[in-house]
Amino acid sequence: MFIGHFTEEPWQVENWPEEWGPGIIKVSNSEYDPRLAHDLYNRYIDEKIYAEEMGFDGLMLNEHHSAPFCLNGVANVQAAILARVTKKAKILLLGNILPIHDDPLWLAEQLAMIDVISNGRLIPGIVRGAGSESIAHNAPPHYNRERFEEAHDFLIKTWTTPGPFRWEGKHYQYRYVNPWAVPMQKPHPPMWVPGTASKETVEWAARHRYPYIMLSTQEEITKQMYQVYYDTAKEEGYEAGPQNLGYMFFLHVEETTEKAMEVGRTLTQGVRSPFDPGVSKPIPWILSPPGMNSKGAKAMQRQMLAFDSTGRSRAGALASFEDQVATNGMVVGTPESCIAQIRRIMETLRPGIIIFRTGDGAMKHEDQMRTLKLMGEEVMPAMRDIAKELDLPGPYDVEPAAAAAV
Amino acid sequence: MTTTPAAFTEETLQIADVSLQMRRGGAGEPLLILHGELGVPGWLKAYELLAEKYTVYVPSLPGFGESSVPDWLMSVRDLSAWTNWFIREYGISSPLNVIGFSLGGWLATEIATVNSALFKKMVLVGAGGIKPAQGEIWDYFMNSSREAFEQSFLGRDSEEYLKYYGRDWSPEEGDQIETNREGAIRLLWRPYMHSVTLPGLLPAIATPTLLVWGREDAVVPISSCELYQNGIAGAQAKIIEDCGHMPEMEKPEEFAKAVLDFLGS
Amino acid sequence: MFIGHFTEEPWQKEDWPLEWGSGVMQVSNSEYDPRLAAHLYNRYLDEKVYAEEVGFDGIMLNEHHSAPFCLNSVANVQAAILARITTKAKILLLGNILPIHDDPLWLAEQLAMIDVISKGRLIPGVVRGGGSESIAHNTPPHFNRERFEEAHDFLIKTWTTPGPFRWEGKHYQYRYVNPWAVPYQKPHPPMWVPGTASKETVEWAAQHRYPYIMLATQIELTQQMYKVYYDTAREEGYEAGPQHLGFMFFFHVEETEEKAMEYGRTLTMGVRSPFDPGVERPRPWIMSPPGISSKSARALQRQMLAVDSTGHTHAGARASFEDQVATNGMIVGTPDSVIPKIRYILETLRPGTILFRTGDGAMTHETQMRTLKLMGAEVLPRIREIAKELDLPGPYEVDPTTNEAYAAVAS
Repeated sequence: MFIGHFTEEPWQVENWPEEWGPGIIKVSNSEYDPRLAHDLYNRYIDEKIYAEEMGFDGLMLNEHHSAPFCLNGVANVQAAILARVTKKAKILLLGNILPIHDDPLWLAEQLAMIDVISNGRLIPGIVRGAGSESIAHNAPPHYNRERFEEAHDFLIKTWTTPGPFRWEGKHYQYRYVNPWAVPMQKPHPPMWVPGTASKETVEWAARHRYPYIMLSTQEEITKQMYQVYYDTAKEEGYEAGPQNLGYMFFLHVEETTEKAMEVGRTLTQGVRSPFDPGVSKPIPWILSPPGMNSKGAKAMQRQMLAFDSTGRSRAGALASFEDQVATNGMVVGTPESCIAQIRRIMETLRPGIIIFRTGDGAMKHEDQMRTLKLMGEEVMPAMRDIAKELDLPGPYDVEPAAAAAV
Repeated sequence: MTTTPAAFTEETLQIADVSLQMRRGGAGEPLLILHGELGVPGWLKAYELLAEKYTVYVPSLPGFGESSVPDWLMSVRDLSAWTNWFIREYGISSPLNVIGFSLGGWLATEIATVNSALFKKMVLVGAGGIKPAQGEIWDYFMNSSREAFEQSFLGRDSEEYLKYYGRDWSPEEGDQIETNREGAIRLLWRPYMHSVTLPGLLPAIATPTLLVWGREDAVVPISSCELYQNGIAGAQAKIIEDCGHMPEMEKPEEFAKAVLDFLGS
Repeated sequence: MFIGHFTEEPWQKEDWPLEWGSGVMQVSNSEYDPRLAAHLYNRYLDEKVYAEEVGFDGIMLNEHHSAPFCLNSVANVQAAILARITTKAKILLLGNILPIHDDPLWLAEQLAMIDVISKGRLIPGVVRGGGSESIAHNTPPHFNRERFEEAHDFLIKTWTTPGPFRWEGKHYQYRYVNPWAVPYQKPHPPMWVPGTASKETVEWAAQHRYPYIMLATQIELTQQMYKVYYDTAREEGYEAGPQHLGFMFFFHVEETEEKAMEYGRTLTMGVRSPFDPGVERPRPWIMSPPGISSKSARALQRQMLAVDSTGHTHAGARASFEDQVATNGMIVGTPDSVIPKIRYILETLRPGTILFRTGDGAMTHETQMRTLKLMGAEVLPRIREIAKELDLPGPYEVDPTTNEAYAAVAS
């Protein structure tokens, strides 16, 4: 079992107007107060250092652009810092948004340096990104998947082939690829892929035997996506297992249920991700311009919303805090009650990777530190026992790329 | 697809590596229509008026309407080469008259910079392709398609605006609009609806050119019209008052008269 | 006086074949041993942290690509780390190679985050880069200067204009510029510009009132370049002063002369920059492809080499360690013997910024730490006194953009 920590690193101000929502491609950066940002960046880094101390296996970072709900405009900046200020935990990027890079050699160089400085602790996961990222970096949405695949192939080749070599691709061209920095991990750092509703992405991850991390907190859709992974794996001639699959959900733990409900609620307050339950999604032509998503993915997105609006499940996109707690979309409670709910998730989904989303929304630093302590002392040790009992190896227990043939 | 009682035929051609949707009407000398980034909603009144004197060809450009798009087509310059290919293979006799709307105006200009002799006369209407000196080309992709239609018209009570855009769309129409948007994104994403190098090539054009612009064009500022006129030797300009980006739909009679006068002169 | 620390962060390996030279665009990265690299990166970071502790005002970073003589391929990675692990020193980037960026919004975002995390300690200097950088990132050398200027203008606009805005430039286009990170420092972080032999770059820096740091260690050539700065400043209607000018030189100090010469020599050993004295320059069509340098810059480059090959001075491009020490190209000695040499430089050039290049070449960690300690204890305090005596304010004492003294520093 691999247990990770994640915070979206939202902007935090009390007087954020409700109609600004996540602020994505909407709120002017004249609202960005660098003094507050300084405190927040360093607070979030402090929390990650403490999460390592409390026993988390990995510290996850993500990035969004022109997006106040995620302060990490360039995740590699924080990854560089963590490479030096942490010692043991994996630095899990989920991930670099490949298609919005016009020159992925920068990524190859940055990530190699970070892997080396951290002594081989980097997991440089990759994503396609939402339309807003393509708009911010003005990258062509209609070539999103092609650029994702070509940039990925370029990264892997750069990391595994002695330079110099040439690369004359459709979207990227280099006459002399030979960076004086290659990763410490051989043949290359483990690649992980997160996703929500794109079947094509799951298939792609399965074909590459990259662990797939489901970010949506709806068990039913997660099962469907895992099934796509299992099926694709079989077609590829191997049996997928827990080491190939991950799941992320909100968690807040306190000594008492009352306190957990009171403080856990702050996870659903403040400046929140438009991709989260209970948050209305901004303008679709921004988040999903033509060419970004396949028809299948669009249908799945409609299903995720439908779950909610037809009332079949309350874990869907516009659910309230109480709804989400009731349906395990958010696990909130005492160590005992949380462990029971986590066990059920582990039994049902059988992931080898669990990522706790915590300290998010409007949660205060003290609250995050307190819940991290409880996770470290009570929740994670119990989970490791359960994982052993249920035989749920993580990708550092069983090598995902070497899974048994069918 | 909205139908009109007017006389035109519609067919699908396999031509120049594209499965092409082609509308055609009228009789006489050929007149090629190169549509704008919003696609062709139907057989417009302006086409009908022009078809009284000319054979009007309205292909849906690759990636628009029901036309396919080849993988290799990545830019307006690629599209200009494709258009030249299509004209030859379809057998339209040249030199021929051409009208380019917005994106299509940019496309016609690109072709004329390479081969001014292909076109007998060229009409550019609210043409993209040249970065305006004042103002900026309104960014379709930061706005919804409905906003794009609204932005393109000054008079939103005009007959064809109401007929095609200013109403609820059927799911099929909504899908078609999305498809056209994807076609536009493929060609116009970056730099947005202009070419950095085209201004330097305008003097290469020897085709007699008429520029038609709505005085209140809120998509391609009238400043671009001036740059076109300064760049293309002898280019005339016809400014249509109280009109937005799409005079062919907003003021079809006035538009058709300006074009017919120019082509017939 | 602003005193900075700089190490090129070379690869260090005893059995590096002599014919590989600086390794730039020449040695396969199959020679890159990540374990050694991990050790070296963290060693160089340790030294920078210590440099801050002993009193340096700034920690300088640079970057080169496919270049074993400079481990810092992406200087912003180390700048990010320094933002968090140092507390006082300026983080001086000299600098980001603007023209090789296809998407300078990444730079605007990265540098803003680094400035904010460091609480406003970033100096995000900008450079045009040698030809090898353009080859590594496959960017058009013929548009090098245009891209440099457009990327610079874009950065400044992004940092000073409330978003969102559009940018439809010749080389860069954006439909929605509104990054949720802008720098801590207002109106924007101070920009510095380093250079060696490009008159156009000096003029550009002077036109923008950006401090210009001369990296070549030839005093006469530096005087020529400073003169260009002074003249351009006058044309622009202001008087340039020490706050606008900087100078970098090699430095090593020990308790005894013998030890200084013995260990200082390691600065000229190991995997060295092709831009340094005594190092062969690799193929010119790589380092300076057509379009990168103006005709006048090329003439100056020839002059730099000519000074050496005609024997007028030993400080030129192919000088030995002894030659460089004899001509002050490298200052090596005891605290007592180096001070007069530094004083000579301060009197002659009158820079407000000096950067010590130290711990470079094949120097070991212990040696670098020892010399840093001596610098902090004996050299830096005395330089600050001389600077006061000679009235050499740095860019944090007199604002280069207004020539007005900063109240806080004056007190």
